[in-house]
Amino acid sequence: MVTNTKEVKALDFDVTRSTEEERKLSFKDDVCIGCGICERVCPVEAIELGDIGAIVRTGADEPKICVDEHKCVLCGMCSVGCPVDALDFTVDGESIKDMDVYPHFVSSAEIDDDTCIYCKACETACPREAITIARDLPDRAKLVTGEIEIDKETCIDCGVCEEMCPADAITIDHKLPTSADPTVASDINVDKDKCVYCLICRRSCPVDAIKAVCRTCSYGEYDLDPAAGEIKGSSFIDDEQCVRCGWCEEICPVDAAKVKKAFKGELSIDQDKCTTCGACVDICPCDVLSFPQPEEPGQMVEKVFKDEKYCIFCGACQNVCPVEAIDVKRTDVDYTPTKSKSWKSKMESLKT
Amino acid sequence: MPRHIVSGLKYLAAVELVRDGLSQKEVAKTLDVDRSTVSHYLNGRNLSWSSIEIAETITKMCPKDFLMLTYALLDDKEKTRLMVKICSKVKCDAIVKDSCIACGICVDTCLMRAIVLDNLKARIDCEWCCGCLICRDNCPTESIEILEVENGY
Repeated sequence: MVTNTKEVKALDFDVTRSTEEERKLSFKDDVCIGCGICERVCPVEAIELGDIGAIVRTGADEPKICVDEHKCVLCGMCSVGCPVDALDFTVDGESIKDMDVYPHFVSSAEIDDDTCIYCKACETACPREAITIARDLPDRAKLVTGEIEIDKETCIDCGVCEEMCPADAITIDHKLPTSADPTVASDINVDKDKCVYCLICRRSCPVDAIKAVCRTCSYGEYDLDPAAGEIKGSSFIDDEQCVRCGWCEEICPVDAAKVKKAFKGELSIDQDKCTTCGACVDICPCDVLSFPQPEEPGQMVEKVFKDEKYCIFCGACQNVCPVEAIDVKRTDVDYTPTKSKSWKSKMESLKT
Repeated sequence: MPRHIVSGLKYLAAVELVRDGLSQKEVAKTLDVDRSTVSHYLNGRNLSWSSIEIAETITKMCPKDFLMLTYALLDDKEKTRLMVKICSKVKCDAIVKDSCIACGICVDTCLMRAIVLDNLKARIDCEWCCGCLICRDNCPTESIEILEVENGY
């Protein structure tokens, strides 16, 4: 009487049940981290986690999860359990993420633009490339003050200053001499927007044709406007890609990034069992795991290095490990309250 | 023939509604027929007694068969739920267990539109429940129990 339809678009898919209201589950493969939580929480065993180890390592053209549309009852539990935004569930077009009756993980990542100095450390460190820092640097001329003048009568157009200038501020219009005009250049100019008053031109000029002075060296910074020299910018976190791993918070030198994780837990690796196949290192969405390099020849190091600071305890590494050397425990799950006992017990079941 | 059975059902419904104290005008409006037809029904005219007999037999079938047959005859969900509500003499109690996951399949399959989701749990309006058990049979978590508490036949 009521049937589901499935629409597949490359690796993504939608499962829909339309009656008086439309219930729709959408999967985005590029966001999926292969943690398998959806498979665990599905109450009707409609979800099967693919061979994620092989998919991630070979780039196989296969979705990370498969939903059997004949088994799926469109309850939305998988989407609430998904620690990233790979599964979205909508009722009549409205995402249940925006509905208070459904529980949600409490997690967030924010960068405070008032504190941020736009150093881009977070952008570089983010394992999901979810952060974009746009910065506006001040004009160099606003950070220096001084005077420069070239005595064109004395200047012999030798080009030494032009070659030496580190800021490319000096240009000479070179030319070949003719009998009518036996000079090697027609003009020499200094671009005062580029000049930093380093005085290298003055010191290198063989005929002392350049008069230049750096006012900051002689008198200090009194005539510089600090506001004009400020770095302006803005930060952006792509919520769809962000997994709240905490790299940005850890690496930020001024504590501008704040990350709240949904799970607390423990990650343990049995170094004796580990065969250093590297599947866990490849699957980890948070760059928690890496292979340490010995500092000197013959030094024994751990087979796999971990730093739990960055771990979101999703369990993807445990799923993928072929020798069961990894154990991920979730000791706490932070979620918004729900009146439904079945949903509450499902959220609690994520604790291991 | 189906039209005759529908007439029989409408006759039965009209009798029930008049017994409930509705005026002929109100009965006509409820059943979406004109007033003279209601008057004819109630006076036993323009009707074959065998149609009424067959209609009565249908109402006495198990609730699911009654519902599905009525739907097949009327071919209109809204008219079906109204007809079944008026003619059904079965009263049910519904229990939704805490294992309900609010998937909404019961809401989507209930022809009587007796079920809504409330705080991620199905809530069944026993005024409208006809006891057909379609919701129970389709529930993926076996969370619904329907108990027949009264059978007027």
